[in-house]
Order: sequence, then structure tokens, then C-alpha cells
Amino acid sequence: MSSSTVVAVVDYGMGNLASVTHSLRSLGYRVRVSNEIEVLNSANLLVLPGVGAFPAAMQSLYANDLVTYLQKQASQGQAIIGICLGMQLLANASYEHGYTEGLGIIPGEFVQFPDSRCHIGWNTLECSREDALLQESNGQPFYFNHSFMFSGADQYIRCISYNSGPFPAVIHNDRVIGLQFHPEKSQTAGKVLLKNVISGLLHA
Amino acid sequence: MLKKRLVGVVTVKNGWAVQSFGYRRYLPLGKPECIVENLCRWGADEIIVQVIDRDTDNSGPDFQLLTKLAELGLETPLIYGGGIRTIEEGVKVIQSGADRLSLDALLHDNLTIVYDLADKLGRQALIAVMPMSFSADELLWLDYRNKVSIPVTSDLLRAFTDRVVSEVLLVDWKNEGVPSSFDVSFVEKFPSVDLPLIAFGGISEHQQMFDLFRRPSISAVAIGNFLNYREHTIQKFKEALVNMSVRSPVYASSHND
Repeated sequence: MSSSTVVAVVDYGMGNLASVTHSLRSLGYRVRVSNEIEVLNSANLLVLPGVGAFPAAMQSLYANDLVTYLQKQASQGQAIIGICLGMQLLANASYEHGYTEGLGIIPGEFVQFPDSRCHIGWNTLECSREDALLQESNGQPFYFNHSFMFSGADQYIRCISYNSGPFPAVIHNDRVIGLQFHPEKSQTAGKVLLKNVISGLLHA
Repeated sequence: MLKKRLVGVVTVKNGWAVQSFGYRRYLPLGKPECIVENLCRWGADEIIVQVIDRDTDNSGPDFQLLTKLAELGLETPLIYGGGIRTIEEGVKVIQSGADRLSLDALLHDNLTIVYDLADKLGRQALIAVMPMSFSADELLWLDYRNKVSIPVTSDLLRAFTDRVVSEVLLVDWKNEGVPSSFDVSFVEKFPSVDLPLIAFGGISEHQQMFDLFRRPSISAVAIGNFLNYREHTIQKFKEALVNMSVRSPVYASSHND
């Protein structure tokens, strides 16, 4: 399946696209990196990456005319993976540097950790619900680098990790999944998870 | 729980990876991309590439090197430092393949840009590099470009209190390259700013790492020269630290499958 599957990495000018692109190619997917709707439409799955602050990222999505497009794609059942900041953008809003509305694809908001500290480094996943996409990754370490956490209904939370307390590490709604960590920077564990998640979403 | 990290440091001067001794003497090691690739293969938790002549000659970030590193398809988080003078350069470094930035000269030159970088990239992407020494009991902060050490400024401490960066790379620069010499009193006497510290400079033995990792303020230990004296050093350190909260060692057979 991999060699015929086209994955489009949404290029909205935020973050390190090289790593996620390389990681997807190494798994055998055909990868397109673009902000052009025609190219994104040709993909079986969209990846929304991101390194940066939430307001700046939303500004970039608006500047690239991608906000309505992504919302429409999600409502039409397109498979989408949000990575790190890309996961945060999927939510209704974030309080980073004030209140900013997000894409509203997965209900919930991003709030600062209770101790206001960043969560940086390798941490293990604890999958809190039955989810075939994530079973193999339960207990595995992944690389996190963020300072805000998801706050939303339990029904969207698939895995948690622990910082000063538990926080959502994977959120999932229909064919959209958000990963708070960087699978592309999590060595073997990241590649296994990415392959399982893509495969699972495409078969959902 | 969050693991403590072992971070590999690659120092680059004139385009070559070098061993650095006390911020003043350098010996060539080879191509930086080869060293970085090895650290990734050995399962470093993060890799810092610090290009030390880019701030001195004001030539901006080494995008040519970043391109080479991006082509490696690293599966290990990459931190880049050297020559970043503007927001645009910082953003471009991230777009060129780095995951985080380490800032040194900019902390001396223009804190406003550091605040602006935090607004644009998020503070989690920023690390402050602080080469420190003692004069009598006073803690001094080195500007490595002119070799002048000064007390930590109140403006910088305010920026730390404002949390414009996520971590501080605390460098015992006088002991850099000297085995088993990191002075832990830097950790004890560093101003209490509630930022996690990454210890660097003269850390060559797992017992030192063990002692540092027991301290709550230490989030990571960074190692430079001492990773290059034998192969698979990261795995060997991790094997010795098995009872500490560090990620398990990664071996090539599992890393490349």
C-alpha cells in the first residue's frame, strides 16, 4: 500500500518540514510538500506539521488560504495527522500569547501546563483507550517539545503522558488525529507509530 | 515520566567539527555531518550543533551545513546555534531543518529579538547558552567573542523570569574538554530562575551524570569531545545509567529497522 499512497505535507511556512518528509519517504509513501490546494487534493492523507507559536501559525494558515480548506477537508472525511503545533491547530483555540481561535476540527482548547513550564524531551505514551492504531506504541518513548496542553472531552483523548500531571498526548476525532510529540524525531518508535497511524486512518 | 536527556554536542569551526578545549584550543575531528549522523545512530536524545565562528565574524547562520544535515534525514532532534541575529534568520534555521535554537551572542546583543523569537517560534524552541566561570565567589558570564566575562545582567535575569527561553545550557567553559571536571557549584549557584538546566563542559564519566541527574534542576547533560574517543559512547553511558530516569539505549539493529 505504501508506494501508491500519497501523503501531502501542508507547507504553511512554519517549522521543519525536512524531517517529516524524510520520515514519510523512508516508510515508502509518496510525499508532496505544498500549500497549493490542487496538490493537497491529490493526497490520500494530509500531514499538518509545525514548530512555532500558535498565533503565528494561524496567521500563516490564513495567509495561505488554508483555514477553510482544512476545515472542509476534515468535515468531508479526509485523513489528517497534526504533529505538535499541527495538533494544537486542530483544536478550537489556544491561550498562547492570548486567545486565538484554531481550526475547530477537534473540540477542545490548548492551555498552559499548570506549572507554566515547557515539556521537553522523551516521555512514554500511555494509551488510555482501546485504539488499534496506537496499541503497538503503548509504553514507548517519544520526543515532545511544547508548552501548552490539550483541554477537552475525554472522548477525544487516546493517549496520555505525565509531566507534572497527566496530559493528553494523542487526540483523535473521526479520521483526524493529533500527536503532541514528534514521531519524525522519535527514532524507531516514531516510525512504527507513524506507519500504524497512517495505515489505520486510511483504512478507517 | 519525562526522561533526563543525554545530548551530543558538535562544535563546528571553519566548516569542520572540532574538539574544543576551554573555548580557546581546537583540534579537528572531521565533517560535522558525519559526527551528527553517528550521534543519531547511537541514539542521542538530542544533538546540538554549535557553529562557533558565525557570531565572531558576523556571517549569519551556516545554512549550507543545515542543508547537509537536513539531507541526512535525522531522526533525532537537532538544536542549532551560531550566527542567529534576526527573527528571520531564526525562522529560516528552523525551516532549514533545526528543531530548536541555541542562543548565545544574541543574549548579549539584543534581548528584544529573543523575545520576538519566542513570540514567533514559541519559547520551547529556544535555549540560552551561558558559559560561566567564577571569580572569587562571583558568578561571571562570558561573551566568547571578546573573551570578556561580566556578571549576569538584570535584563537577562528578567528575560529568564519571563521565560522567553525554555532551558539554559550551563557551560563550565574553563573545564570544557578536561575529563571529569565539571564544577557542580555552577548548578548550585546559578540564579534561581526556575528554568531547567543542561549541564555542559568537562562531563566525561557516568558517575558525574548520575550526580547531576539526581538534581531536580537538571533536565539534561550535554557531552562534546568525550563522545568522540570511542564508538557507541551514548549507548555505553546509558547502560551505566540504567537506574536513572533516562531513555533506554538504542542500538543500530533496532534503530534502522
